[in-house]
Amino acid sequence: MLRTRPFNWGLLRPYFTSSLCKVPRAPPDKVLGLSEHFKKDKNIHKIDLTVGIYKDAWGKVTTFPSVAKAQKLIDSHLELNKNLSYLPITGSKEFQENVMNFLFKESCPQFGPFYLAHDRISFVQTLSGTGALAVAAKFLALFISKDIWIPDPSWANHRNIFQNNGFENIHRYSYYKDGQIDIDGWIKQLKTLAHNQKKENDKQLHCIILHACCHNPTGLDPTKEQWKEIIDTIYELKMVPIVDMAYQGLESGDMLKDAYLMRLCLDVDRYPNWSNGVFLCQSFAKNMGLYGERVGSLSVITPATADDENLNPLQRGNSLQQNIDSQLKQIVRGMYSSPPGYGSRVVNVVLSNTKLKHQWFKDVEFMAQRLHYVRKEMFERLRWPDLINFAQQHGMFYYTRFNPRQVEVLKNKFSVYLTGDGRLSLSGVNDSNIDYLCEALDAVSKMSEIA
Amino acid sequence: MSQCGRRRLPCSWLAHMYILRICMFKELLLRNTNKPRTQESNNAMSASLFNNIELLPPDALFGIKQRYGQDQRTTKVDLGIGAYRDNNGKPWVLPSVKAAEKLIHSDESYNHEYLGITGLPSLTSNAAKIIFGTQSAALQEDRVISVQSLSGTGALHIAAKFFSKFYPDKLVYLSKPTWANHTAIFENQGLKTTTYPYWANETKSLDLDGFLRAIQSAPEGSVFVLHSCAHNPTGLDPTNDQWAQIVDAIAAKNHVALFDTAYQGFATGDLDKDAYAVRLGVEKLSTVSPVFVCQSFAKNAGMYGERVGCFHLALTKQAQNKTIKPAVTSQLAKIIRSEVSNPPAYGAKIVAKLLETPELTEQWHKDMVTMSSRITTMRHALRDHLVKLATPGNWDHIVHQCGMFSFTGLTPHMVKRLEETHAVYLVASGRASIAGLNQGNVEYVAKAIDEVVRFYATEAKL
Repeated sequence: MLRTRPFNWGLLRPYFTSSLCKVPRAPPDKVLGLSEHFKKDKNIHKIDLTVGIYKDAWGKVTTFPSVAKAQKLIDSHLELNKNLSYLPITGSKEFQENVMNFLFKESCPQFGPFYLAHDRISFVQTLSGTGALAVAAKFLALFISKDIWIPDPSWANHRNIFQNNGFENIHRYSYYKDGQIDIDGWIKQLKTLAHNQKKENDKQLHCIILHACCHNPTGLDPTKEQWKEIIDTIYELKMVPIVDMAYQGLESGDMLKDAYLMRLCLDVDRYPNWSNGVFLCQSFAKNMGLYGERVGSLSVITPATADDENLNPLQRGNSLQQNIDSQLKQIVRGMYSSPPGYGSRVVNVVLSNTKLKHQWFKDVEFMAQRLHYVRKEMFERLRWPDLINFAQQHGMFYYTRFNPRQVEVLKNKFSVYLTGDGRLSLSGVNDSNIDYLCEALDAVSKMSEIA
Repeated sequence: MSQCGRRRLPCSWLAHMYILRICMFKELLLRNTNKPRTQESNNAMSASLFNNIELLPPDALFGIKQRYGQDQRTTKVDLGIGAYRDNNGKPWVLPSVKAAEKLIHSDESYNHEYLGITGLPSLTSNAAKIIFGTQSAALQEDRVISVQSLSGTGALHIAAKFFSKFYPDKLVYLSKPTWANHTAIFENQGLKTTTYPYWANETKSLDLDGFLRAIQSAPEGSVFVLHSCAHNPTGLDPTNDQWAQIVDAIAAKNHVALFDTAYQGFATGDLDKDAYAVRLGVEKLSTVSPVFVCQSFAKNAGMYGERVGCFHLALTKQAQNKTIKPAVTSQLAKIIRSEVSNPPAYGAKIVAKLLETPELTEQWHKDMVTMSSRITTMRHALRDHLVKLATPGNWDHIVHQCGMFSFTGLTPHMVKRLEETHAVYLVASGRASIAGLNQGNVEYVAKAIDEVVRFYATEAKL
C-alpha cells in the first residue's frame, strides 16, 4: 500500500529542479529580438528595418484593402463567422480548393492541372511558411533524408527549423560572393557532392532549399536561364527540392508571374518525374499581409507511380498520394491537431470572390511598386548601383553587405536597426525618414573604407 | 485528400475524368515522343523512397466527423468530437466572445502584425492568473514561465519536445484510458509512454489504489500526465481528498506532474473549482519538481478552431530561478520559432480581451455556467430516459461524471450498431460527447442505446 509520509521537504532531493539547471540559454532570435531593443530606444529618429513586414508610405502596418473588405464580409455574414469549430487536421476543403486552384491552375496553368488530374499533390494548410517547412522537415526526416542544403546566406530560421525537426546534417551552398550571385560556386558544390557520393557509393538522398523569388536576405535571385541550369543539376543529382515561396508577387508585382520557379520544377517535359517529390512551402504572410494570422500551405508533389499508367477511372484516387496524406495528417495531429481558422477564412473569401481577388492582385502590385520606388529614391541619394539592379534585386530586402560592426554602429550611433547580417527591410523606409537613413548609411559605409 | 480537380466536375465526373486523363496522357506522350519517359519514370519509381510509406488509418475522431457528414439519414446524432453544441445542436459562439470580437474590430490599431515568438503577453499573463489563481505563490514569487501555444495539443507538443530535448529518458505515464492523441504527441517526439490505472470498469469508478501503486513503482522522476478536471474520456475526476493523495505520492518519488487542463470552467462552471488540482499540485510540489501546465481555451471559450492555449511551467522555489527562467524561456522560444515562428493572433486577441475586460470576463463566467448546466441537464435527461426504458444495467455513472464526456460503458460492438442502425455516432471506446445531446434528440438516443444493449444482451444468451 501507499506509504504516506509527512512532508519533510528538507529530506527530499530536488531531483528535477537541479536538472533544470542544465538547460542552457538559447541565443535570442536574431530578428524578433531586435524589435524588442527597438521599442526601448529613445532616439526620435529611430528606424526599424529588421522584420519583413510591409509598411505603407506613412510607416504604418496597414491591412490590405482586399483583406479589409474580406474581413467586413466575414463580420457581416454571420454564417461565415459564427462557426469557430475545429478545422480538419490538414485544413478546410474550401481552403484547399481555393489555394490549390490559385497555385496549380492560375500560377502554373501549363503543368499544374496535369498533377492535379493525377492526384499527385498532397496538400496541408499550415502555419504560414515556417509551419510548412516544419511539417515538410518532419516528413522528410522520417522517410526520405536527413541531409539539407541551405543557401549561404539564407533566412536565419531555415537552419533552426531543419535542425529542430529531425535533420542531422545541415550543409550550406555558396549563394553569394562579392555582391553577386555565385551560381558557378553553387553548381560546383553540388557536383562535387555527387562525385563524392558516387566515389563512396553513398546513396544518401539530399534535400535542398530554394528561395522561389526575392531571396532572403540578399534580395538577389538567379535569372530564369540560371534557374534552368540549377534545376537541371538538382534533377540530375536526384536531390529533393524544397521550394520556399514566401514572397510570391513581391518581385514583379504580378502574382502569377512570380511563380516561375514552381512552373519550372513542374515542367513535365523537362523533368518527367521527380522520384522523391517536390515540396512547395507557400505563405500568405507577406503577399496578403496576414503575418500574425499564420496562413500558408505545404504541397507535396508526389512521384509518378504505376497507378498513373493505369487509366481505369474507377480506381479511387492515387494510393501513394493517400499514403502521404495520411502521414502528413499524423504529423500535424501530434503537433497542434488542426490549423487556426480565422486567417484561412480571410484567404477563402479573397480567393473565391472575383472582385476581391482582382483587388488583391492590385494591392500586391501597389506594394511592389512602392518598394521599387524606395530603391530608386535611395539610389538618388546614395548612388549605390546595386540598388537599382532591377533584373536581379527583388522584394522587400536590400542586402547592405555591412559587416556586423557596421550594423552595430548603425544601431548604436544612428538608431537604425538592420538584422545582424546587414539585411535592410525596404518597407520601413518612407519619405519622412529616407534622408536621415541615407545619411546614416552613407556615413557607415565610408567607415568601412577607412577601416 | 486531393480531389479538387474532381470535385469541380459535374456529377458525371467518371466519364469526364476518363476523358480528361486520356487527353492529358496523349498530350504528354506526344510531347515526349523523343524521350523514353515510361522507362525512365519506372526506373525512378523503383528508386523512390516514397514507396516505403504506408497508409495510416484515419484519425478516429476526425473520421467520425467525416462519416457523420456523409450520412444521408434524416435523424442522426453526433456524439463524437468534443465540441459544445447548443440546445438546437448548433455550434455556439459565446456572447462574451461575440462582444470581444466587436471590440477588437472597432479598435483602430487592429492589424495582422506578427505576435512575439512566445505570444501575446496580455493573453499569457492573464491565462496564468486564471489557472494558478491571483493569489498563487508561484506567480507572486515570479517563478512561472508562460508561452502561447496552439491550444492544448500545441502546449502538450511543446512539453513533449522540451522533454525529448533535455530529458529524453523520462518515462511518460498516461492515464488508462486517456485522450487518444496523448500517446501520439509524446511518442512522435521519441519519448517512451506507459499507462497508470485510472478507470475501474466493474465499478465504473476511480481505481485509486492502482493509480497510487503505479506512482510508487514508477522510476524516480517520471512524468505523470494528469487531467486536471473533466477527465477525457471517462468524465470521472478524483475527489479533492484523492487528489491530495495522488500529489503526495508524486512528491514522494520526485516525479514531474504535467496537468492537461482543457476544461477549466467547463466541468462545474466555476474556474476556481476546476483549477483545484493544478493549484494543489503547484503548491505541494513547489520544492520538489517543476509543474507543467498545458492549458486550452478551445472548450471553455469556444475557441476550438482558432487554436488558443498556453504552456506554463511553474518552477520550484530556489535561488537559481534567476538564471533558469531566462534559459528555459529561450529554449521554449527556439522550439516555437522552429515550428510556427510565432503563434496565431486572432483567437489570442479575443481571449486576451475576454480576460482583461471586467464586463466581458463577467459575461464569460455566465457563458460557462450556461454550457456546464446544459450538459448537466442532458446527463440527467439521458439517465432518466434509460431508467424509464428499464435498459439493462445501471446508468447512474452518467450523472456522476462531469465535463463534456461520458464513458458510457457501451462496447465497441454496441457503438458500431449505434452508428449503423441508429445513426448515433460515438467513439469506439464508448465515449459519448454529452454536448451533442439536446431536448430534441435525447430520447431518440436513449431508445437507440436501449435497443443495442438489449440486442447484445439477447445475443449473449444465445
